[in-house]
Amino acid sequence: MSIRRSAVGFTLLAALAVSIVASLAYGAVDIPFGSVIDILLGKGASGPDTQIVETLRLPRTVEAIIVGAALGVAGALLQGALANPLASPDVIGVTGGAGFGAVLIIILYPDSIALLPVGALVFGLIAAGMVFVIGFTGPTGGGIGRVILAGIAIASLFAAGTAALMAAYPDRVPSAIFFLVGGLTSTGWETLKQVWPYFTFGFVLAIFMIRPLDRLLLGDDVASSLGSKPRTIRLLASLAAAVLASAAAAVAGLLAFLGLVVPHVVRLAGGTNNHTFVVPVSAVGGAALLVAADTLARVVRAPIEMPVGPFLVVLGVPLFLWLLRKAV
Amino acid sequence: MMPVRRDFVFDPDAPLLEARDVKVTIGGTEILSGADLTLEAGELLAIIGPNGAGKSTFARALCGLRRPTSGMVRWSGVKLSRLKGRDLARLRAFVPQRAQVPNGVTVADAVRIGRSAHLKPLQGFSAEDHEAIESSLVRARMKGFEDRLLSTLSGGEMQRVQVAVGLAQGAPVLVADEPTAQLDLGATAAVSKLLRRLVADGLGVLLIVHDLALAAAVADRIVVMSEGRTIATGDPLDVLTSQLISDVWGVEAELVRHQGRSGLHVEWLEGGPTGGN
Repeated sequence: MSIRRSAVGFTLLAALAVSIVASLAYGAVDIPFGSVIDILLGKGASGPDTQIVETLRLPRTVEAIIVGAALGVAGALLQGALANPLASPDVIGVTGGAGFGAVLIIILYPDSIALLPVGALVFGLIAAGMVFVIGFTGPTGGGIGRVILAGIAIASLFAAGTAALMAAYPDRVPSAIFFLVGGLTSTGWETLKQVWPYFTFGFVLAIFMIRPLDRLLLGDDVASSLGSKPRTIRLLASLAAAVLASAAAAVAGLLAFLGLVVPHVVRLAGGTNNHTFVVPVSAVGGAALLVAADTLARVVRAPIEMPVGPFLVVLGVPLFLWLLRKAV
Repeated sequence: MMPVRRDFVFDPDAPLLEARDVKVTIGGTEILSGADLTLEAGELLAIIGPNGAGKSTFARALCGLRRPTSGMVRWSGVKLSRLKGRDLARLRAFVPQRAQVPNGVTVADAVRIGRSAHLKPLQGFSAEDHEAIESSLVRARMKGFEDRLLSTLSGGEMQRVQVAVGLAQGAPVLVADEPTAQLDLGATAAVSKLLRRLVADGLGVLLIVHDLALAAAVADRIVVMSEGRTIATGDPLDVLTSQLISDVWGVEAELVRHQGRSGLHVEWLEGGPTGGN
């Protein structure tokens, strides 16, 4: 059993390592692996290759690693907290809110496009906040059904707002597509500098939620017997997921698919629901998948860069279906 | 890590658990309107009563799973309201009525999760913790099942895992809410023997049960509940008179116990010696 888990963990780590090297080496210009390693170790000759790797590809690869890991962890936390295999950042309103925030900036304030990450982050958190207030208050507050239904309602509200904006300014819709489909850009370290505290908060809180979520696996009563408060666990795990997913949307647009599928792939492959395994390995798996998909998105029609969202699906769905075949 | 402030001292001479005049109101309705009990180490106390008498609510209130509206609950002399989650987890284990059977969790995983009540956040398992996990599996007779997924276990095996999870908490009191309600005769007897072994080891066991014959066989003492109140307590045979069974359950029946065997002779249909109604 634990051999299987280790094998899954190491395979995903290896896949991540290979993806990272490929992401740094391939693109509009192909740079040999040897040179990439030299550049990373600071031994590369100064030249265009070094500049491409250091200022364009390295930040972008780091973004892909962090965003992929954040969405993988967010999905794992939500699926655990809500005991629902369909849970993803969609379910707590983050995707709808972040999409609205980004489209608001793109369509109404195209001159302030630098505010796009802030818009996505803030509205993602506002939407999640509304879901938490509705879902965790009242006599049945904190119940799974209530949280999920509140999430669906709020997500619909923001989706309607997004649709209204797009309908009012149809000529500006094309510039919003890249965000809505999900895509990384080569803008250096700027966005990460803005949102890293959110990622840090989300990841640290996630680490503390691993054991409480394991207790929740055995049911609310057992979790209470073990001295935990089920409602608090759900709220804090969902909060960590909301912050991670909002920050991820700020960097890379809407990639909710990743948060839905990666934890399932990890569970099916590892044969366990233990969060001690599922949460960290989902981080590695999410990072590997997003780095690989982003490399593909840059290479397929180089030098034109495609949005990464569809490539994520193209890579992720076959793997998911292959694992599902054995599970059901 | 914040230091745990312990502003209470356990009294070794106090009963493990003592409750006086506990009341619980849920949504404006008084579910529990005055319940008492005392549980000592090395005894099995059964709470019995008809459906809806408030047995589960009482047990949950005692365990801190539901806040009592009023009344006094003390664990080893310390007021329940002063005990925080992890303190409580070391005083009592609560084995719920309906076990949640998650996918992808093995017996060993589950018992390890039970032991996590002893750990600070992010703290790893010590050798002592591994020993406790091992001994919980042995005591619940689940040794050899470690790698089995919970979803592949029978009802009786699952119930024994639940007890093992509770034992891993290392608490002196085990509270089990209808652990045998969905089990067949053989599994019911196995769980009963398991609970008696734990009592022989010195644990205090509080058992919620609605099978009078089972309660009479396994319990040292019983507490009878009716309509939100505890109405009688003592040795099962002394308390469960035909008169009391008639008053509380509205059924004519006689409890018989002979050489460790017990049974309830019930007048199931109208027309017995005392007539209908």
